[in-house]
Amino acid sequence: MKGAALKLVMVGKRFNGKAGPTEALRDINLQISEGEFVTIVGPSGCGKSTLLNIVAGLETPTTGWVEMDGRRIHGPGADRIVVFQDGAVFPWLDVQGNIQFGLRVAGVPRSQREARVDEYIRMVQLEKFAHARIHELSGGMRQRVALARALVLRPSVLLMDEPFAALDVQIREEMQSVVQDLWLRSKTTTLFVTHDVREAAVLGGRIVVLSHRPGTVSAVLTNNAPRPRTLETPEVVEQIRRSNEILKAEVQWSNQPKIQL
Amino acid sequence: MARFRHLVPMVLVAVAFVGIWELIVRLQIWPRYLFPSPVDVASSLYDLWTQAVLLRAIGATLARLGVGFLISLVLGAILAFLMVHFQTFGKGIQPYVLGLQTFPSIAWVPLALIWFGFSEAALLFVTIIGSLFAVTVSFADALRTVPPVYLKAARNMGSDGMDLILRVTVPAALPHLISAAKIGWSFAWRSLIGAEVIFATVGLGFLVNQGRDALLLPQVMGMMVVILLVGVLVDRGIFSRTQEWASRRRGLLPSG
Repeated sequence: MKGAALKLVMVGKRFNGKAGPTEALRDINLQISEGEFVTIVGPSGCGKSTLLNIVAGLETPTTGWVEMDGRRIHGPGADRIVVFQDGAVFPWLDVQGNIQFGLRVAGVPRSQREARVDEYIRMVQLEKFAHARIHELSGGMRQRVALARALVLRPSVLLMDEPFAALDVQIREEMQSVVQDLWLRSKTTTLFVTHDVREAAVLGGRIVVLSHRPGTVSAVLTNNAPRPRTLETPEVVEQIRRSNEILKAEVQWSNQPKIQL
Repeated sequence: MARFRHLVPMVLVAVAFVGIWELIVRLQIWPRYLFPSPVDVASSLYDLWTQAVLLRAIGATLARLGVGFLISLVLGAILAFLMVHFQTFGKGIQPYVLGLQTFPSIAWVPLALIWFGFSEAALLFVTIIGSLFAVTVSFADALRTVPPVYLKAARNMGSDGMDLILRVTVPAALPHLISAAKIGWSFAWRSLIGAEVIFATVGLGFLVNQGRDALLLPQVMGMMVVILLVGVLVDRGIFSRTQEWASRRRGLLPSG
């Protein structure tokens, strides 16, 4: 399992909603090296999730394209797995059933499937809950299932769409360290979308700050804080301060009355 | 015994009902042949049972119901899927399906008789057409309850087409699909019994009508009770149980 390099070229997205067309994203250019952990942070409605869906191939960009290892992507593929905000784990399957879902779709034979599922159940520390049903799990445990379900497919790119936004603060910090540990082990290229600057600074090797609608890249910050990090790591604290300044400026800018030309 | 304690009020109502009925009969307001006693009704049912007529009728009716309802489920599932999947088709056909759902199934009988004659096919036709639209509407509603994020996640993991339908859409909608089937069965049941009363030569509905022809009111009333019981048994025994089972598995009901 080796991470893939991503290249986003002039990616833009317009929606034709009921209130007329909206421009969600404009001219996004990003280069992400293999094995990199990039966080994308921005105010709500900046098109972060749309950007992730485009990389996943679940939505098509109106302009531009996405390349993975030099090849343009068309449509979804199990090499780019998304972890959704509410996990989207399947309530009709137990933990084991959820984690082996993608492997069954891919037609992996039963014997191999079971060994791999067990490995990833251990990795997210859910051994005691292998046969639990989803409604019996807490929010944090559900996200562990979603994470294992994604990683078991050994994707080249892991896409995380505000996966911990709905969790309590303590659980969220715990999950951040789980994600960091798993990434340190696997070095899967990871794109992590969040609206939480602190989360972006703890996790990201680079932090991409998006502007308000239409989302454009306002800044890309390099974050060389040593890993494993916590929210108390001094470099992380400094990154949080810098990102916050940029975001604040963004919000003030977007609140200015527009000049009509 | 504690398991059956909740049934006590229901049994009391039945006892009171039969008691009042018997009382009215004894007041002799109406002639006995127009207003038979509970004992007359019970003994008529006993006769039908010992002559093996009753069991044969139940078998015939349930067989028709099984076949007709199954066809209705399959056709309804296909129609519902097309309606949900192809939105323009869905929008076009929705008002007609909704309208036909309210159409009384008995009003299909003349058409069925002209097309199929006094035959099993005519009975099946009424059963199917009487339930198809209700099945379609409720199946379509059930399919629309599937949260799009499940489909998105599954597509992301490489599932699509038939695989996506069988692995995600159907299990995700299962509790609602079972409720939909339950609604459909009650439509099928009413349509079939109605048609049997009008033109069958064997079956529960036929025995009601045979009682009318012979002015055997104990048989008419007795068969009405049988129809009620069979309906309740199928509804409680099959559909409510599967519904509960599916909901409990999903944590939609407290387990225990």
